Amino acid sequence: MVETDFLVIGGGPAGLSAALEASRRGVKTLVVDEGIEAGGQLLKQTHKFFGHEGFYASVRGFEIAKEILNSLGDNVDILTMTTVTGVYEDVITAYDRNADKMIEIKPRFTLIATGASERFIQFENNDLPGVYGAGAVQTLMNQYGVLPGERVLMIGSGNIGLIVSYQLLQAGAEVKAIVEIANKVGGYEVHANKIKRFGVPIILRHTIKKVVGDQRVEGAIIVEVDDEFNEIPGSEKELAVDTVCIATGLTPSIEIAAMAGVELQYIPELGGYVPYRDENMRTNISNLFIAGDVSGIEEATTAMIEGSIAGLVVASECKKLDLTEEIASMKKELSEFRSGPFSEKVRSGLKKFSIDYPTYSYRDSVQRQEPPKGKLVPVIECNQAIPCNPCQTSCPTGAITVSGNINSLPEIDYNKCVGCGVCVMKCPGLAIFMIQENAENNTDVVVIPWEFALPEKGEAVIALDKDGEPVCEGEIFKVVKSSNKTHLVYLKVPTGHGRSVRNFARLQREDNRYVCRCEEITEADIEKAIEQGFTDFEELRRYLRLGMGPCGGRTCRLNALSILARKTGKKISELGHGVFRPPAMPIKFESLLKGEKSHGE
Amino acid sequence: MHRRIFSHPILDFKRGKPVKIYFEGKEIQAYEGETVAAALVANGIDVFGESYKRNRPRGFYCAIGKCSSCVMIIDGESNVRTCITPVREGMKVARQHGRGDPKW
Repeated sequence: MVETDFLVIGGGPAGLSAALEASRRGVKTLVVDEGIEAGGQLLKQTHKFFGHEGFYASVRGFEIAKEILNSLGDNVDILTMTTVTGVYEDVITAYDRNADKMIEIKPRFTLIATGASERFIQFENNDLPGVYGAGAVQTLMNQYGVLPGERVLMIGSGNIGLIVSYQLLQAGAEVKAIVEIANKVGGYEVHANKIKRFGVPIILRHTIKKVVGDQRVEGAIIVEVDDEFNEIPGSEKELAVDTVCIATGLTPSIEIAAMAGVELQYIPELGGYVPYRDENMRTNISNLFIAGDVSGIEEATTAMIEGSIAGLVVASECKKLDLTEEIASMKKELSEFRSGPFSEKVRSGLKKFSIDYPTYSYRDSVQRQEPPKGKLVPVIECNQAIPCNPCQTSCPTGAITVSGNINSLPEIDYNKCVGCGVCVMKCPGLAIFMIQENAENNTDVVVIPWEFALPEKGEAVIALDKDGEPVCEGEIFKVVKSSNKTHLVYLKVPTGHGRSVRNFARLQREDNRYVCRCEEITEADIEKAIEQGFTDFEELRRYLRLGMGPCGGRTCRLNALSILARKTGKKISELGHGVFRPPAMPIKFESLLKGEKSHGE
Repeated sequence: MHRRIFSHPILDFKRGKPVKIYFEGKEIQAYEGETVAAALVANGIDVFGESYKRNRPRGFYCAIGKCSSCVMIIDGESNVRTCITPVREGMKVARQHGRGDPKW
């Protein structure tokens, strides 16, 4: 039997925040988590969080998990690979997979922070391998570095569908399309824009009808729907995909709360059946709290705040502390986060528990100044009120303001801006670019926040617009690496295109243009070797085995020399042709031995 | 089929020591610290078993231990959730048909 002041069931953002607040006030805390390591779904989040600096804005999710875990003190024990299996009147039972045994826990206070599970939808063959929860794909690719497929269809355009699509692109997969049954994108516009500019279509009023395949997904058929979401016959289209990701929402993982006797209510706005709680996150059982997605589907920042509230309330009761101010300030945070248009659903859901969140006024339309020509300045493409302000807090000259409510749209004063680019690196939505119109030599400059393999200075690229459509040719002229991995790529485009260019495509040739057939050496292999400093034929031969195969260089020598000439700017006649050695064709040792022996007999 | 991500713009995958596990008797490469499900998928194995009524192919679905779609027979034990079970050197993994052979 394990006795503890405070048992936290689930070590995700809500549970760890509660453990942090309670334990640092002397409450002996035990966190039980099912995962191989604690951190919950934060561990697989590679995007920068929205919000403000007090709650890790602009920090990537997996780094937030590390920060919280590192700041937990000696008062916290974490039991991983352990699942709570039941809540009884006198004891809570858990199964420890590591030791393969049951344990009993007797806490004074308990927080249930069990999160959510992914909702499943019905279509033909939806049980085949290759149909995966979007979060599942995220776990495999971001935690374990394994891509379960190469060509993906995403079902659902909420924030999870949008974020996972972007992450699939970063991991090297192709996202064929995102289908969305509603007539508008469900998630943040800035997340949608991130993938639109890579040319990924978001197909509205469509859903998946069927998966094709025998043992696994080999294709998918999508279909258009009418206003009542009925399929429109004849509108089917087949997509060649090997993976279908379902991102149609989450539902609270209520099992443990229900067993404990917490009243459940069906509240669709909060994701399904939701356990009752008050604004202190206390359930109808006085020493039992809930926080995070189990208390209503929302997102990780509000989960952290809810967890903090629960942790503080537990600390105040367990240690008889007056934490009125701390609790009030957390509640104020939550209230502000939930005051914008995106929290409408959560607000109306929580009303059913008689918890009222006010809507504060925020600035939702901005008459932004015209960017002055000739000067490098940011253009902020953040036109939807979401709770976020790192653009303001990171600006060293105070040029950007998100005044009043954190949901307000940012405003920029170009007179104060010095064009440093910090806001471009910090913006969690990658919604800030910089442009300089009429820079020099009839060019415009566009600076793009870039989270993919870095291009090279001088590289020629195809400039794309916000929908991923080619606009013109461009040239990379500067790359500024950032420690937060949102790098700045400076692109030159012909004057007049600065306002429309928002992305670029690299002129990647397939690496299957062979120069040397015998040794299978491609044009790209040779170019790369030359860039690494192997600048004559003999060096290339020794490094790549170029010309050392059975043909003896008959096929590749001249071609390799012309690549060398092009890359080094020399003429072929100025380059050495390399050495010619016998045998001029492959000869068996046996034949050599049998032949004429004019020497050394 | 190679499905491991070796270079990534944001993440730096620090894989553990290489270990060998056996899938249906065949040796496959895995890394310490990863789950059995991740190791199988990395090696191009998507079908983890068969459903118990209609013998439909089954693979992972949630990858976080909630849905039980990924259960397999590991070292003779049925119904092990492979998505939350770390690999171990020499581990024997087999497809599970139906409910397997549960131990009581």
